[in-house]
Amino acid sequence: MNALSGITIVETAERVCGEWAGRLLADFGAEVIKLERPGGSPTRRYGPHVDGKGAVFAYCNTNKKSVVVDLEGETGRDTLEKLLERADALIDDHDPQWCARVGLDPAALRERHLRLVHCQITPFGQQAPDDHHRAWPINVAAAGGWAWHTPSESDDADPPLMGAGRFMPDFESGLDAAIAIAASLLRQRRMGQGQCIDLSEVAVQISRADVVLGRVLAGDDEPSHSRRRYDMGGPGDVFACADGFVHLVMMTSAQWQGLKDIMGNPDWAEEFPQDWLEFHCTPDRVTSFRDQFRPWIALQKRNEVSKAAQAKGVPLVPGNSAEDLLANEQYRHRGYFQSLEGLAYPTAAYRMTASPVRLNRTAPAPDADRDEVFP
Amino acid sequence: MTYRDRGGPLAGVRVLAVAKVWAGPYAAKLLAQLGAEIVKVESTSALDEMRAYGGVDIEHAPYFLSQNTEALSVRVDLKCEDGIAQLKKMIAVSDIVLDNLRPGALDKLGLSFEAMQAIKPDIIHVSIKMYGSEGPLGYQTGYAPSFAAIGGLTSLVGHEDRVPRGMNIRYGDTTAGAVAAFGAIAALHHRERTGEGQQVDLSAVEAISGLVGDSLFAFGLTGEPPVHRGNAHDELSPHGFFPTRDNGWISIACDGGGEWHALANELGAENLADDPQFATHEDRVANRAALEAELGKLTHTLDCAELACRLRARGVAAWPAASTVDLMSDDLFWSNETFRMVINGNGDARPVIGSSWRIEPGGAELERGAPMLGEHDDYVYRELLGLDEDEYEALKASGAIS
Repeated sequence: MNALSGITIVETAERVCGEWAGRLLADFGAEVIKLERPGGSPTRRYGPHVDGKGAVFAYCNTNKKSVVVDLEGETGRDTLEKLLERADALIDDHDPQWCARVGLDPAALRERHLRLVHCQITPFGQQAPDDHHRAWPINVAAAGGWAWHTPSESDDADPPLMGAGRFMPDFESGLDAAIAIAASLLRQRRMGQGQCIDLSEVAVQISRADVVLGRVLAGDDEPSHSRRRYDMGGPGDVFACADGFVHLVMMTSAQWQGLKDIMGNPDWAEEFPQDWLEFHCTPDRVTSFRDQFRPWIALQKRNEVSKAAQAKGVPLVPGNSAEDLLANEQYRHRGYFQSLEGLAYPTAAYRMTASPVRLNRTAPAPDADRDEVFP
Repeated sequence: MTYRDRGGPLAGVRVLAVAKVWAGPYAAKLLAQLGAEIVKVESTSALDEMRAYGGVDIEHAPYFLSQNTEALSVRVDLKCEDGIAQLKKMIAVSDIVLDNLRPGALDKLGLSFEAMQAIKPDIIHVSIKMYGSEGPLGYQTGYAPSFAAIGGLTSLVGHEDRVPRGMNIRYGDTTAGAVAAFGAIAALHHRERTGEGQQVDLSAVEAISGLVGDSLFAFGLTGEPPVHRGNAHDELSPHGFFPTRDNGWISIACDGGGEWHALANELGAENLADDPQFATHEDRVANRAALEAELGKLTHTLDCAELACRLRARGVAAWPAASTVDLMSDDLFWSNETFRMVINGNGDARPVIGSSWRIEPGGAELERGAPMLGEHDDYVYRELLGLDEDEYEALKASGAIS
């Protein structure tokens, strides 16, 4: 038994954002019934493929059940209706035109299923103009502002970056969808009524910018086309070291003293006022610091130097790779990766004393659970 | 004042936020956007740094005002026994304690999870720490870019053939906060079902790993280490950012030959559409650098927003990379309440960033902005804790409320 045991969710979503929302809820014990079109979910195409199975589908669809249903046909829509009669929530991520065609228009659906929590994920929300309802994650990262400002200290000549991998905005959108759905399901438990959740992927990106964009919005900082409007100033950056890279942030004189100590108090550091980070953090000083810090840090090993820094209260940390994380002692201690059929799956970011996340089943083959779903 | 029911799916849920700076307050903001009542614990002697950041007036601090929508502020001095005693009473009337203080800080006040359970048996304690609350590396601390580096995000974001520099330095706190909010709601479900509270011990570093989980999983599957690849995509081509007039950049993603041809046609580049090195998807992926260079020559003289509209009309997904000016001047975000106005505790109207969801019927009212320090002392001490006038005045006189 888990936090969402006993809750049934129908997933008509066919993009990573919707599938990720479904997985987050399935991880807490909800029964998530994934409807796949004939031929399988479009996300099955995303590689790498091993033994004919796509990694992205395998990752986003653990703990779910699959039935193949053709929503373009009447029989399929009848099947969906039957499932919705016993469902608590529906996750969809199609455009409004498609939804209207297959009977998933939010208003119409609400008339038929008053108790249903219906989450509709679209790039810009339901109110957006017709040409805004189809966007890929790179477009979402672009429209939401993070790409323009990534990496920090971008030059105009360098292309913006959409983030890690192909789907990062989708994982953020799926998370917000899962938050809203879980909250609405709590209300459903208490009131017996459903709600329509209209989730905008670009608004998720904007929400994540929170105070940084918020102060510009309110006129406390000037809006501009600068690529550096989200930057923090200060010497914080990635630095190459002997076996990879580290990330250093420094904001206080105590941190500066700590760093000087682990560097053995070199002469060049004495040119900096003790409180330069708080009160004299000019671009020239930042450049000068970085230039003189680089040769020293280049010779250090990331884990050793990070450990020494932490002991002095300096937020200097190792840049980890996938391989590092699978071997990371803290991740192992907390059980971040769970194993299914010999494969390591990243799971939830929390240890919970009463209802921990459990992976129970691998992602289904198309239609694998027909008999279980329709006994 | 009395309890104000703002509606929303989490109406009736009270969150005691012993939370500062960013990740914790952002988690509280999301819960407030869903209707939860946020009681933010503050004191003059241990201010939320956001009240001091970017200005000198703690009631007009830009970051703080951008963040604490619909939070209530209560003053409690946690450096004295009387203050801690009041905090314990607040725990007794709360559903969730949200804490992102340094590892062990609450324990030192005598407020371990077990101690909180003794006060309120079904309490939910959501703890946000960089690396979790205990364990071999649990003592380590850092800021958002530290989470991103440790969690494996930074190494996967960068231009090809250069040292990866990660996401913008501000990325990470809000993601950790959102993951915390989700854990809090899951714990509410468990309590609703079983009557049992629990501790949700969040690692911000692991929250960041959740953004690269597909890459981590693929590594386990294939043994091939993932690397940063700019904006490369194996299934879509072309796929990337292309330069436009006035230092603009347009994001373009084509799915299949039809969209590729539509793009080439719209750019008047039939020669590219017919070029054998770009004939199939595999060709376009293999010759990506050449393709992007050719496209860049065509796009760099065009207006970004106009080109994006034209391409979308042809069925090609294309959007400008938005700057702060672009974001602020888009009417859509104002009309759908992505940006919205609130009234701060200090009386000023202020635009803030709203939620990513619209919930109907029964969404939460969001009308008030960030509170003044101690603005809700009366409500918390009199209404919630039921102190009489003498007790309340005595606590103010002793400094426990300050």
